[in-house]
Amino acid sequence: MCLRNLFRRKLRSSLCIIGVALAVTITVAVVASTTRYMTVIEEMNVFFNGKIVVVARGVFIIQAFPIGGALPESVVDTLKDIDTVETVVPMLFNLNFKLESEGTQPFPFDVTIGIPAGNWSVLVGSTTLKNGSWPSAESDSRVVVGPSLAGQYNVTVGSIIEIEKHELEVSGIMETRSAFLSRSVIMPLKLAQETFRYPMQVNMVIVTPDEKADENELSDRIEKEISYVMALSDHERNELTEPILSQVETWNRGIKSVLFFLSMVLVTVVAVMNVSERRKDFATLIAIGASRGFIVRVVMTETFLIGLFGGLIGLVFGTIGALWLGSTYTGIPITLFFPGVFEVVPLSFMLQILVSTVTVSCIAGVIPSIAATRMNITEVLRAEY
Amino acid sequence: MRIKTEDLTRKFRVGSSKITAVSMINLEINEAEFIAIVGPSGSGKSTLLNLIGLNDQPTYGKIFIDDMDASLLGNGELRKIRLFRIGFVFQTFNLLPTLNALENVELPMFLAGKSQKEQREKAGRLLENVGLRNRLYHRPKELSIGEMQRVAIARALANDSEVIIADEPTGELDSKTAKEIIGLLYDINRNHKTTVIIATHDEKIVEIADTLYTIRDGKLKLEH
Repeated sequence: MCLRNLFRRKLRSSLCIIGVALAVTITVAVVASTTRYMTVIEEMNVFFNGKIVVVARGVFIIQAFPIGGALPESVVDTLKDIDTVETVVPMLFNLNFKLESEGTQPFPFDVTIGIPAGNWSVLVGSTTLKNGSWPSAESDSRVVVGPSLAGQYNVTVGSIIEIEKHELEVSGIMETRSAFLSRSVIMPLKLAQETFRYPMQVNMVIVTPDEKADENELSDRIEKEISYVMALSDHERNELTEPILSQVETWNRGIKSVLFFLSMVLVTVVAVMNVSERRKDFATLIAIGASRGFIVRVVMTETFLIGLFGGLIGLVFGTIGALWLGSTYTGIPITLFFPGVFEVVPLSFMLQILVSTVTVSCIAGVIPSIAATRMNITEVLRAEY
Repeated sequence: MRIKTEDLTRKFRVGSSKITAVSMINLEINEAEFIAIVGPSGSGKSTLLNLIGLNDQPTYGKIFIDDMDASLLGNGELRKIRLFRIGFVFQTFNLLPTLNALENVELPMFLAGKSQKEQREKAGRLLENVGLRNRLYHRPKELSIGEMQRVAIARALANDSEVIIADEPTGELDSKTAKEIIGLLYDINRNHKTTVIIATHDEKIVEIADTLYTIRDGKLKLEH
């Protein structure tokens, strides 16, 4: 009955559903995309949990990773001499590079990390390889590639890829769900220095404090002893990105609030129109013995259905929108996002949006349903003869 | 069901002035009576029927349902009387346009919480009794006005109402269809012992009514 009532005015109801769907589409596409990037940024810090990241003073940092900057490789020995330092692993992190598979397809804006052979776990933790093996020595000119890159460019073990005019052989493909690692190329430090022309230089050093050390106290000491570096503990790295993340979160909340509010206004207006147009029907229902609760349920079910249909349609288009945004900003073909669609727009997020949309629509039905129950039925029945 | 009114008065405020729609009406309606209330437009017929049908509350005076003062009943109890004991037939039928004939007749039974099977069987039987066996799945806009009024009568009988209150039930109908509808209401009254209270201009109803009242300027007068 409610469904039929709703589509008694097909154009009006359809436009209302489209309006709600549009709001949900924008919410899902924008919020899912930004949340995904925030997750990637947060994920970066997990790599070096409990460790100190040393970079050149004044360099711009995204969580654990520096954009540019350089340190002499000799800083490693200086760091090793500092009291309570257990291990020191230098790295060369590069964001801007172009990699060509068989000389044809450039990789846009991905990451390459050089790390001394054998120290892979400092970066990748317990990540294993799907196929192949890690480069065995510093002199090895082979690299390991993340699964997303490998999938995008049909790279397999043994493929030759070209980075900065250096031909490099792929020795392994990582098995990982990490958004960061799946877009990474990892190679021995010496090879990275040669490829990116950083002779005897690195741009970050990972310091592991020993058991007795206090991480914050050690990072302060490093900065005192080596004037040209910044030593960032977990806490300090989080502090650097926290304002950015909270600002994005605020914008997301703002977008959601505005769009849900607009949806609510739209649904309320349509429901008020529906109720005022059917005053005679509601008056008849009350006259023949329908309870006020029944009238409220009829109106609320109609607004619930608008929210449900609008929410479901919006989720479909919003998910496509989020994939499209992801593809546009990363250069990764949209088809590569399909298998991981629930990582870009998680099921829990979809459910949250659907529940929110339906709730907002039901709230929008409160005023019209009260109006429907409060009408003076004798006046309505008399006036509408 | 016996209905009795005492000094029943209903006033409405229209702008700054007050209009007395019905004034000091005393009447008694016994079980299985066929009552006609005749009067010109604006004389207070509909107001009186709304008061008797418990859709409205008097400004003064009382309504007794089986000797029970209706003013002492809560909204829920009044609703139950309307749902289970009174059936309404309106001049403009007031069928729900999105429901077909069968569903319109099922509606009071649905509100009364009867099973879907019972609703369907009884609605089918009632529509058959009013001659609409072949129009069960037609929506109001697909029915003639005479058929719509038959559906409305079937709906009024859905919960075995003891009283049918019909406000100008033939007002929208041509004379032939009006005669059929009057015959139908008369049969219901005689065969089922259902009290029928009709507000009308129709002279044919006047002829068959057990009791005839006229109403003018809100004042009721017993004619026979």
